[in-house]
Amino acid sequence: MEFITTLVNGLSLGGIYAMIALGYTMVYGIAKMLNFAHGDIIMVGGYTILVFLAINPIVSIVAAVVMCVLLGVSIEKVAYKPLRGSSPLAVLITAIGMSYFLQSLAQIIFGTAPRYVIIAEFGSLELGALKIGHGTLITLAAAVCVMVLLNLFVKYTKIGRAMIAVSEDKDAARLMGIDINMIITLTFAIGSALAALAGLFSLMNVPTIMPTYGALPGIKAFTAAVIGGIGSIPGAMLGGILLGVVECICNSLPGVAPYTTAIEFAILIVILLVKPTGLLGKKRREKV
Amino acid sequence: MKKTFAKLLCLVLAVMLMVTCFVSCGETNYAENNTKIKIGVSGPLSGGAAVYGIAVKNAAQIAINEINAIEAAGGAGTLGMQFEFVAKDDEHKATNVSTTYSSLYESGMQISLGTVTTAPGLEFKELANDDNVFILTPSASGDDIPEYDNAFQMCFADSNQGSASAVYFNENYQGKQIGIFYKSDEDYSTGIRKTFLDALDASLKNGIKEASFQEGDNDFSSQVEALKTCDVIFMPIYYTPASQFMTKGKGIVKDDAIYYGCDGLDGIDAIDGFDITTVPQEVSYLSHFNSGATTGAAKTFIDKYNAAYNEETEPLNQFGAAAYDCVWAIYEALKVAKANGKEFDVTTSPADFSEILTEVFTSDNFTFHGVTGKAVNADGTSNISWSDDGFVNKEAVKYVVKSANSAQ
Repeated sequence: MEFITTLVNGLSLGGIYAMIALGYTMVYGIAKMLNFAHGDIIMVGGYTILVFLAINPIVSIVAAVVMCVLLGVSIEKVAYKPLRGSSPLAVLITAIGMSYFLQSLAQIIFGTAPRYVIIAEFGSLELGALKIGHGTLITLAAAVCVMVLLNLFVKYTKIGRAMIAVSEDKDAARLMGIDINMIITLTFAIGSALAALAGLFSLMNVPTIMPTYGALPGIKAFTAAVIGGIGSIPGAMLGGILLGVVECICNSLPGVAPYTTAIEFAILIVILLVKPTGLLGKKRREKV
Repeated sequence: MKKTFAKLLCLVLAVMLMVTCFVSCGETNYAENNTKIKIGVSGPLSGGAAVYGIAVKNAAQIAINEINAIEAAGGAGTLGMQFEFVAKDDEHKATNVSTTYSSLYESGMQISLGTVTTAPGLEFKELANDDNVFILTPSASGDDIPEYDNAFQMCFADSNQGSASAVYFNENYQGKQIGIFYKSDEDYSTGIRKTFLDALDASLKNGIKEASFQEGDNDFSSQVEALKTCDVIFMPIYYTPASQFMTKGKGIVKDDAIYYGCDGLDGIDAIDGFDITTVPQEVSYLSHFNSGATTGAAKTFIDKYNAAYNEETEPLNQFGAAAYDCVWAIYEALKVAKANGKEFDVTTSPADFSEILTEVFTSDNFTFHGVTGKAVNADGTSNISWSDDGFVNKEAVKYVVKSANSAQ
């Protein structure tokens, strides 16, 4: 029974990681850059919820998604677009700089102390000895919905297929008449909206927020994206869920719990050694 | 020509080296221009632990004002000197201490209250030992804080908090399922956990459940799950993660369970946005100060604090009470030293003050009457003394923040 609860908790946490990992992996697949400011967009989403919560929880969620999308798109326009075509290292450093900028800005505005953001009081579902919080179940259900919708979007809509085309071969896609800039902007918008949702569900799980709120989940989700194979959408989902389940199982074993984070990153190393492209990553044949 | 130049260069460099040596070897007394005795502290005035630092700063200032009023009035036994207090913000980060310490030291600090929290304190005591600056920390409870001869604690050391809690458990919680929720990458937490387990009866230790977390973790679902059948959950952690655990545990942890912590839980009822009354379980902690006291010296002090500061935004806690006692204890010790014929004034160097104060604090007959600890004297004060290795001797109290809520 306890194991089932742990598993459900793990799946729910994994769902949050997967949502963040999708942002990393889509941006990497299409813009070929690692957006290290992605984790901090979660934090911005969380603070937006805090600010608008006084009005109405639903309004605050919508505001968070809108805010994150605008932020994600403007970061891309201001910080990354001018560097397109320059060395990958320059873009990477810019992304890290952006991450620190957002964290420091939040520190100036909201202070460093953690703030409580209670979106709603949740009860818990009881099935015999099984007791699972409603928040956990909602997160799990939402994560599944998001993943299914995203898959359908990418596979069956014109824009989704254009995204795949850009990720596979940018130049060929441009020749086919695809507006690359529009696709990249859209990718950042979708990734940021997912980050806002991840922020929302994290807050339902643990209702406190601080400026470094997005840092560790961001890094873990990035790990998840790499485990799954960076650039691969199903890979990010798989990696996120795997990481969430491992984290919850490790935390539930008293002797193992202190080493949880170490174990998560050890898994990353092992997978990269065995399968350098990640679990679902495609092998690219290098032309010589 | 080249050779001569090289020789000349060597000579110049050698001279410069010697000059720097003299400069750095020379003892600078930064206090020589002081007009008041300067007492300093490094503590979190911002960040997650700011509640502690701000209370320490405010309470110490109250003590300084009281002492200055007495000194200004003069009379038998007074020193004829004024005091001033400075606090620097270390945000509860060890990496900030080298900055806060040197800024305090170079601004002429003569006596220190060390740090407010343990992690920065481990850094501070090394620097203070190099310069021989006296430390009487209100609340840095690490066992290693009083490692050197010049450092003393007003609070219980971690090992004492763990064993004192275990004594309480052995007396009161026999036959209950005990759980521990601790932070595996923090000395404060693992230190208390270890001494708690060492002193706990075997009957309670059998079948004990444990869960832990690390810095940055913000999902406690599996930890709540692991401890949900416990009757008493011991939490040697700070209040922010504790409040997160309690929020997560609503409806999952037994409603009649007891959350029992140490001084880190002090302030849990003052977190912005966290309503402790919505937690159905009892929340208590081992303490040396009862911030809900209705009698005695503790009550008098609480009234003074609330008259001077806003109890909503800058609430009093045991850290503040300990800081108040620290300043008074230093003052009383200086009076004892003066009575014993020691000579000092407002420009005396930190090292000399350290010698003077250490001698008083380690002497067998120095007992301070304070507002922290169990009130045993007729005037409602407690008896506080120090062992030669810097640990405090006084009686503990259990403080119930919020009793069990059967209605919820």
